[in-house]
Amino acid sequence: MIQQHSVLLKEELCEGCTNCVKDCPTKAIRVHQGKATIKEELCIDCAECIRTCAYHAKYTRTDSIEDIADYDYPVALVPPSFYGQFIDYSPGQVIKGLYKLGFKGVYDVAMAAEALTYKTIDFLKNTKELYISSSCPVVVRLIKLLYPELIDQLIPFKPPTELMAQSVRKELLDSGLSEQKLGIFLVTPCPGKTSTVHNPLGVDRSFIDKAIPVDKVYHSLLEVMDKKNSESEGKKGLTPYLGIKWGQSGGEVDLIKPAILNKTIAVSGIHNVKDILEEISRNNITDIRYCELSACTGGCVGGVLNVINPFQAKYNLKKLAEEHNKAVNQDYCLYSYQLSSEFKPVEVARLDSDIEKAMEKLAQLEKEIDLLPGLDCAACGAPDCQTLAEDIVTGKAKRSDCIFILREQVEDLADQMSELAHSIPPIMRKKRREEKAGTQKEVLKGENNKNESK
Amino acid sequence: MEEHAILEKEIDKGDFSRGGEASSELKALLRKLGINNTIIRRAAIVTYELEMNIIIHSEGGNIKAAVSSDEIFIYIDDEGPGIEDLEKAFQPGYSTASDEVREMGFGAGMGLVNVKNYSDQLEIDTAPGEGTSIKVVIAIK
Repeated sequence: MIQQHSVLLKEELCEGCTNCVKDCPTKAIRVHQGKATIKEELCIDCAECIRTCAYHAKYTRTDSIEDIADYDYPVALVPPSFYGQFIDYSPGQVIKGLYKLGFKGVYDVAMAAEALTYKTIDFLKNTKELYISSSCPVVVRLIKLLYPELIDQLIPFKPPTELMAQSVRKELLDSGLSEQKLGIFLVTPCPGKTSTVHNPLGVDRSFIDKAIPVDKVYHSLLEVMDKKNSESEGKKGLTPYLGIKWGQSGGEVDLIKPAILNKTIAVSGIHNVKDILEEISRNNITDIRYCELSACTGGCVGGVLNVINPFQAKYNLKKLAEEHNKAVNQDYCLYSYQLSSEFKPVEVARLDSDIEKAMEKLAQLEKEIDLLPGLDCAACGAPDCQTLAEDIVTGKAKRSDCIFILREQVEDLADQMSELAHSIPPIMRKKRREEKAGTQKEVLKGENNKNESK
Repeated sequence: MEEHAILEKEIDKGDFSRGGEASSELKALLRKLGINNTIIRRAAIVTYELEMNIIIHSEGGNIKAAVSSDEIFIYIDDEGPGIEDLEKAFQPGYSTASDEVREMGFGAGMGLVNVKNYSDQLEIDTAPGEGTSIKVVIAIK
């Protein structure tokens, strides 16, 4: 299947600096000919480069709110974190606003998140090992790519967004709606979730049709929502569920931990996530049964497509969660939790498909690493010397891409030229000497003239 | 089958801050060779336990890793007190680590037990006061 990523580059804005290259957790970016290029097979759509780029050259490909018009029956799936974007508007008002924008149905992903909480607790009670939440698609992709040995420790259930979309789809089609008329729109806080629509995880085909970013919905909503004076009306409206906690780091674990003797941990931020996965991988995590991992710092409220700052969003969501601390009345068995497609490793790290050849290349790699200066300056366009060495061995870069090596080569060349310059044929030597003496005299004369003019 | 050395690292006594480096490096190298993930994880766990043993129990040593087309070899060689009672060292939970080390979350007495569980072949050469040499072999297929 063709990979369709959500994080893309606006070439005209890229200055060719290597900030994104160095910060990318999967070393997926190189700068070539002054422009960054993202290696599709390594990109996990974590959006770190969007955060890092000072020139705003990285962006997220998303669907548009105008796409609603393409469907007779468009519905919106609202993720828990979305409510954290508002402090002057209650969830009820937000939901009403979405109807005004043209959606014929609005559904809370928090409902599915809540159901998944209970399913996960059941699962953990019947197992002994440490398990990792599979709700953040970026974390799942990171594991598939860099920690494939941990795939079996991912919670083997669909994430809340797909669970909810599947349930909504079934409900509406069962009620007689035709498949062509229904359009399920996910309001997404991050490119990670946007990508799952085209590159689904754990399902053969996503149950979501379109992903529209929070920022686009937010501004349209502000135009149509009722102001605070009608708050009472809003609060009595639809209520978000206990699952709303999933919108921020630590929320999942808050709901799950009482059932498993508090043996849980929540880690957020892609680099922290990498650190804990490394520890899990070497068996250096003790006593913990459940790890909630979010690629964005602070959880989904920290997604790059959100509008307000993540700290305020976290506060807003926490406050809401305190007000709505009751479980929703729903039948948890109605969701179809089982994955229809297993999480599979992504094999891109190997140097060669033949182990003998791979070993030869590994030896070559060691040699290249020894040649390079080890400064990890990224001026070659690769994030560090190790990666440049790999690119050289696999034929994707040249040794002279390293400016230090290039400089050494220039120096050698200069030495050679100087040597050659001095090895002129004997017949020319005398003439040359005279010429040199002549120019020196000229110089001396010039200096004398200067002194006189003072 | 010919062995290709792929990793060699000196390890200092008590250098907890660098514990796990050899294991992570080996893991990355084995992945480049396209070795099966379950095997890589076993090698990573064995390496981690062995390097931590050098840090915790010895006066310093080194760790080496090599591969052939069908096996992974991990060697450690340390200067230190040696292992007094090998039989006890293989009992789960038996540990000679200090309270300080245990407080850091190490020395739970599972080190050599894990090494044994995750390796296909294990040779230990040790004597009190003479240091310890260990060879581990893990089959690739």
